[in-house]
Amino acid sequence: MRPGGAAGATGGAVGTPLNLLEVRGLTVTYLTQTAPLPTLDKVDLDVATGECVGLFGESGAGKTTLALALLRLLPRTATVSGSVHLDGVDVTNTTWGRLRALRWKAASIVFQGATQALNPVQRVGGQIEEPILLHERSSGTIARSRAAALLRQVGLPPAAAGAYPHELSGGERQRALIAMALACDPRLVVADEPTTALDTVRQAQILDLITGLVTGHGRAMLLISHDLRLLSSTCDRIAVMHAGRIVEEGTPAEVCAGGRHPQTRALLTAHTRIRALRHRHRPRPPSPAGHVGVPVLAADDLVVIHPARRGRNVRAVDGVRLDLAAGEIVAVVGESGCGKTTLARALVGMHPPTGGEIRVDGVPLRPTGPWLRAHRRRVQLVLQDPGSALDPRHTVYDAVAEGLRIHRLRPPGGEPAAVAAALVRAGLQAPETFFGRYPQELSGGLRQRVVIAGALILQPRVLIADEPVSSLDAAARADVLTLLLDLRDRSGLAALVISHDLELAWSIADRVAVMYLGRIIEVGPAQQVLGSPAHPYTAALLAAMPQPFTPLAATLDGEPPRTSSLPGGCRFHPRCPVLLTGTADAAGIGHACRTVEPEPLPAVGPAVACHYAAAEHRS
Amino acid sequence: MTAGRAMRRAAGRVDARGRVAVAVIGAYLVLAIAAPLLITPADLSAVGAPGAPHLPPSARFPLGTDVYGRSMLAVTVWGTRVSLTVGLSATAVAIGVGAVAGIVAGHFRGRLVAVLMHVTDWFLAMPTLVLAAVLTGVLRPGAGPVVLAIGLTSWPATARLVRAQTLVVEAQPHVDRAKVLGAGHWHVIRHHVLAAVAPLIVVQASLTVSAAVLTEATLAFLGQADPIVVSWGTTLQQARDAGSVSAGHWWILFPPGAAIVVLGLAFTECGRAVQRALRVGPWEHP
Repeated sequence: MRPGGAAGATGGAVGTPLNLLEVRGLTVTYLTQTAPLPTLDKVDLDVATGECVGLFGESGAGKTTLALALLRLLPRTATVSGSVHLDGVDVTNTTWGRLRALRWKAASIVFQGATQALNPVQRVGGQIEEPILLHERSSGTIARSRAAALLRQVGLPPAAAGAYPHELSGGERQRALIAMALACDPRLVVADEPTTALDTVRQAQILDLITGLVTGHGRAMLLISHDLRLLSSTCDRIAVMHAGRIVEEGTPAEVCAGGRHPQTRALLTAHTRIRALRHRHRPRPPSPAGHVGVPVLAADDLVVIHPARRGRNVRAVDGVRLDLAAGEIVAVVGESGCGKTTLARALVGMHPPTGGEIRVDGVPLRPTGPWLRAHRRRVQLVLQDPGSALDPRHTVYDAVAEGLRIHRLRPPGGEPAAVAAALVRAGLQAPETFFGRYPQELSGGLRQRVVIAGALILQPRVLIADEPVSSLDAAARADVLTLLLDLRDRSGLAALVISHDLELAWSIADRVAVMYLGRIIEVGPAQQVLGSPAHPYTAALLAAMPQPFTPLAATLDGEPPRTSSLPGGCRFHPRCPVLLTGTADAAGIGHACRTVEPEPLPAVGPAVACHYAAAEHRS
Repeated sequence: MTAGRAMRRAAGRVDARGRVAVAVIGAYLVLAIAAPLLITPADLSAVGAPGAPHLPPSARFPLGTDVYGRSMLAVTVWGTRVSLTVGLSATAVAIGVGAVAGIVAGHFRGRLVAVLMHVTDWFLAMPTLVLAAVLTGVLRPGAGPVVLAIGLTSWPATARLVRAQTLVVEAQPHVDRAKVLGAGHWHVIRHHVLAAVAPLIVVQASLTVSAAVLTEATLAFLGQADPIVVSWGTTLQQARDAGSVSAGHWWILFPPGAAIVVLGLAFTECGRAVQRALRVGPWEHP
């Protein structure tokens, strides 16, 4: 019998039927250098055996702190009051030895970032065996066979045990992390945003897997997410968290029905729905004749190859044609690892292209110092995490003025006036009040505005934004997106937005390009590509989007192949539902799918790289 | 400049232990600079010494006299000059070479950098005392070879540390951002790398001084310094040669020994205090 089970039985004998997890009045305050930071405020939460509870809230609401507090994993700077009863044991004041026995055995955690949660220098198999060896003192052979069984359960090949984390894809790493969480047969699994970094197809796969393995085996789960639709489709009960408090709790239907608490309503309406025209912000009518004049930024048959030490080179970007006109926002969407970040870095001149050409205003970019320098005044990059994109030792003023100083520009009105003007353009009113502040003192949204101001001061023609809002909460997100639209409308700034978030593309992009394994497979006006997708891959991405109350559907199987070993024919064909269901063969083009690579798409579109879609279109 | 600003902010956070260490170093510096005002060359003459040899402490000679009959107080105070000069200049050599090599090795890529790191490893393996003995044997004895020997063997540690920190800084997106803004090597190094590396260099410098002072005294004690120049190490060596240890002439052994220990400790403590204030490296938990 499990030690946890014995404790639970004792609790029952006293006459108080203890839940598996009982959190009572949990309050957590972090001590910081300046002022104490209250993070959790009298949180009450119950999870019964076999139940799946969702914890919903935007970033900064205290969800992760709660998850860590359940196993007393908080840093020493946190002061904790209240109680956390896990399997009848009060985690907050039990002995160290008892706590160690509880960790992973009574409850385990699937952490947010699979990349950081796995040890990069240890094989995956060893990391799964580690908790087994620690808790059960079983022999290495038993632990190894258990690890192999776990890997099979999460759908990984046995060879994955011998792989290092970097040899697995993002989805495979997340699966390995789930295998690790299940290693000691825990009674409660806490999953902290297990799918945030994944594309919709993999998200559905992983959630499907985790709910099947956890709730199907009498275990309980606490699923933490900022996506209410996702929780409503998987959980029995949802708790809504805001500013460190649980503001509402109920069944998915109750919570989603509008929510009694105003905060829930606000969070609910923040969701974008694809195909809902009112969620498209200030769409521009697509110009039917394509572009007029020379595009500001053009990529022509761009190829970027990462040389590999052993094995075959990785073709991260494999023949991309893309145009960007003045005053246009183009979104490049695709799963992680599809090459979109490499494309962005090549376009700003950070990564020398292996082949093809990049043109700014029709002038080809040459990879030499002065050319690159001039290029960088016209094309600017906005990075994903504004926290690390600013040097913590530079004030806002220095950060924004950096571009001017690098190019030794003396703006006519003087440097302070130019910095102030750039901050105002980036939507920061009363810019002088920001001059002396450090990025650490600003919120995420304000920091991203400072980054954008630093880019705008050089008066670029194009902004390339790599996941510009993925680390921001809903309100800051909307702010930054509105800013991009303002810049487009007022100054005709073109923007290329790189994202794995289809909703983001729907809300602001004029055109959308879908990237798969280094190539653009569908491109066209946002409403067309996302509204009525022609490529089966685009359709699968869209169909896997979480819908309220509908079980998630993994619309594709398996993982994309490595770009170092591309399949022959269409690069999507091994996973293509049209081919796998026999529809393509019935139409008589299955052979073409397997053997003929579709032509690279024209730069503007609308176009689709799919034999089946092309045949459909013709008929 | 941003590096200066960071250092000034850190200076305000130095704790009491660090302040004491800085005060002690300051006192040594004042003594070393003021020594020529307090002590005449006649006081230090081995031939026309003011007193008889081996006198115990008295009112005339508060710390007694050395093997030649010179006042131990004067000898010890004068010795500060050599120790500090050699310690600080060896550190300047070590930190200067180490910081430049570290930043270059961290910032640039390529074959030359690989060669540079191999050279660093080669120097890392070189024993200080042996190299110093060879150098003083080849060159004329004096402070120069000692500074060179200590400098040449102490820079690789700094280079390794600075390179590691440079790699950490350059992996951060804000350096990418600067590059996209058009920054060249010089701008990235000056505005981003240097500011991040400066605190580390200060800590490393302080620790290196303490090691250099000790090495200088060791070399002099082993007879690798100019015997005419009065220093703590040579005083100890002469005392040992004259049999002061067996004769129980503690007043000749104690002052230079204590001076070395206190100065070495002061620089180490100062380095640790800066480390604690800046939260760089493995600082001690309170």
